[in-house]
Amino acid sequence: MSSHPQLRLVDIMYVTRTLHFARNNHVLRMKFVLLVPSFEEFDILSFQVETNSDAGKFIMKSYFENYESLHDSSFEDFMAHQLSSSLCQGIPDNWNVGVRLSVRELSLIGEGSHRHLSSSIRLQIGAASIPKLPAHLCEVIVIQRLPLGVFADPFELQNPHKHKAFRDIAVFGDTNLELPSFQSNRSAVEFHIDAGSNILFMQNNGTEFNLLLPLHARYQPLDESGYSVVEIGEPDMLMRCSVEGKQHKQSCLFMSPPNEKAKSTSATVAWKIPAGMKAHAGFVSVITFVTALLSTLSIVYASMFWSGTNVSKT
Amino acid sequence: MISLKPRSILLISAIFRVGLILVGEWQDTHMEVRYTDVDYLVFSDAASLMASGQSPYKRTTYRYSPLLAFLLIPNSFISRCWGKFLFSASDLFVGLFIRIILKQRKVPDDLCTYSMLIWLFNPFTFTIGTRGNCEPIVCAIILWIIICLINGNVVQAAFWYGLIVHFRIYPIIYALPIVIFLDPRFFRSGTKPLLSDWTSDPGKAREINSELIDKCVVCDVWKSTFTRSRILFGLISGTVFLLCTGFFFHLYGWEFLHEALLYHLTRTDARHNFSIYFYHIYLNYERELSVLEKLVSFLPQFIVQLVLILCFAKDLVFCFFVQTVAFVAFNKVITAQYFVWFFCVLPLILPWSNMKLKWKGLCCILLWMGAQTHWLLWGYLLEFKGKNVFLQLWMASLLFLAANTFILIVLIRHHNYGPVFRQHTDLKTTKTT
Repeated sequence: MSSHPQLRLVDIMYVTRTLHFARNNHVLRMKFVLLVPSFEEFDILSFQVETNSDAGKFIMKSYFENYESLHDSSFEDFMAHQLSSSLCQGIPDNWNVGVRLSVRELSLIGEGSHRHLSSSIRLQIGAASIPKLPAHLCEVIVIQRLPLGVFADPFELQNPHKHKAFRDIAVFGDTNLELPSFQSNRSAVEFHIDAGSNILFMQNNGTEFNLLLPLHARYQPLDESGYSVVEIGEPDMLMRCSVEGKQHKQSCLFMSPPNEKAKSTSATVAWKIPAGMKAHAGFVSVITFVTALLSTLSIVYASMFWSGTNVSKT
Repeated sequence: MISLKPRSILLISAIFRVGLILVGEWQDTHMEVRYTDVDYLVFSDAASLMASGQSPYKRTTYRYSPLLAFLLIPNSFISRCWGKFLFSASDLFVGLFIRIILKQRKVPDDLCTYSMLIWLFNPFTFTIGTRGNCEPIVCAIILWIIICLINGNVVQAAFWYGLIVHFRIYPIIYALPIVIFLDPRFFRSGTKPLLSDWTSDPGKAREINSELIDKCVVCDVWKSTFTRSRILFGLISGTVFLLCTGFFFHLYGWEFLHEALLYHLTRTDARHNFSIYFYHIYLNYERELSVLEKLVSFLPQFIVQLVLILCFAKDLVFCFFVQTVAFVAFNKVITAQYFVWFFCVLPLILPWSNMKLKWKGLCCILLWMGAQTHWLLWGYLLEFKGKNVFLQLWMASLLFLAANTFILIVLIRHHNYGPVFRQHTDLKTTKTT
């Protein structure tokens, strides 16, 4: 579907809830070895140290610093290359830690233009034997890219009532609530969920995180069938673990290498949204104006016939 | 019920509104569906931005004057319900002003009381203020302007008029009738204009009318267009409007101009609403509408307004009412909060209406509510059940326009048209050309 994107300034809105640790600007990367793909056992990449990164930073924020709008190809490119410097890397020998993040279930709940996207994410940690690992704190980062036809309301996500479990939620991209989809750009929602402290020390058969994201449909481009189908794919997941250094916070990211992800086999949910029908365009306009005209004439007639200027004639 | 004193009515209304606000707060925190209007949250956010020295327009969808955010600044440090209390208080003022206006025109007590009740206990109106909508303030100011005008206080009326047009653009439609209304035969410097009293006798009303009709009304309007009161009114209201706009433009720049003013003038919302134009706009959104098309959609509004003004300007209050009903009905976007604009003037014209509640009045009410409910049912199917009922929804909006037109015509038919003012006795014998 072609879009007529009006280039909009990136609208970044986020809510900051109470963080467990302070944010620093100059952070040295940690030496971690765990990677988190979806579905697969992760790979281990090499070590790297990075400076000047913000421990609490949103991934999508750095995406939008480099790109104007959200496209799948740019995003995958970003994940593969830009984030590689932030990865936890390190390969001591005899190290076999299994951490797995997978999407157990993805579904759309509700009817009509306002629904909830429910995703269930499982985090599994295999046998861990990392004697030199310091005390750490991990958070799971889930990035849900939304297609053009739907949006998430950042103000709704601020409601503390529903979103107590999340450390942070933010919406990036086009958050205009009013424009139809062919005048909008895509957006993405980033969740940060507290995975707990020192989780890499112990085996974990599976912690589940349930995300319920309220979504709203935009007005769709016209369609002959009267409906437009919008597809929402699985979220991208990463894990970030941080350690209290002497002066700074140190953290790094885990993600699966891009070629491991088989996007085409990922599950998607389809949302059928009503759309106007082009066939109606002709007669709707004509009848609208004829009705307006008839109304006008009746009011004009009534005013002139029954207004005070004619009273003296009775 | 008829023996209720106005003070008690206002007190009961106040208590009722306070109760609603508290219930609303409870509902917001404990239930899925919020009581508070989304707009109220927008105002509050903008107000807290303003309180911290930033531009309120940083808050998306804030499309009002910075004055509103300024009024709501106490939301941040007194209570987040401050705004709701302010709006509900304006609500009560509207009830009070209704009584003042009717009493000045010597309307009997029981009719005054009914009129007050029609406003204060109308479900549309008490929910609007308690949900956090700012329209009651606009209504209160419009009624205050009417009070100033009928007391001959042109300067104050002009000041408030300039302010209210800055605040909410729609009162600009009242500019021409007010100017026509400031007839030099009534507004002479030094003397307060004489009000023509309410009378239940239609014969006497015709007598009052004929005094004025004998003279050529159109000729007079043309000859004495630039009188002192008219010039004064135009200058003062224009100055106030420009000062306010200029001041806020200086503070907030183009963003203020776009969001608070230009947006309202060029607004075309393709999302479904009561207006008959919504589907036409949606179907043609992808292509630019030609100038001719835009003109054609503006023409009905323009013609109706002009004819209503020329026919009813002397009876200013009735003119305000019919203009507002027509304005809302023919507008490109209609939302429920716009109905308050004419609900506040309705109690002021009912004492002059020949229509009885049984059964014509009741029929009108049921017809209006029926057309609305019909639209809402299709809207529900579209928005909450996801069915493509655009065509049916559009036809429901056509029916709603038809209902509005019919009720407007019926009200015009049954109205005892009577100019608000009568002439001073010494002018009666003067012949004007």
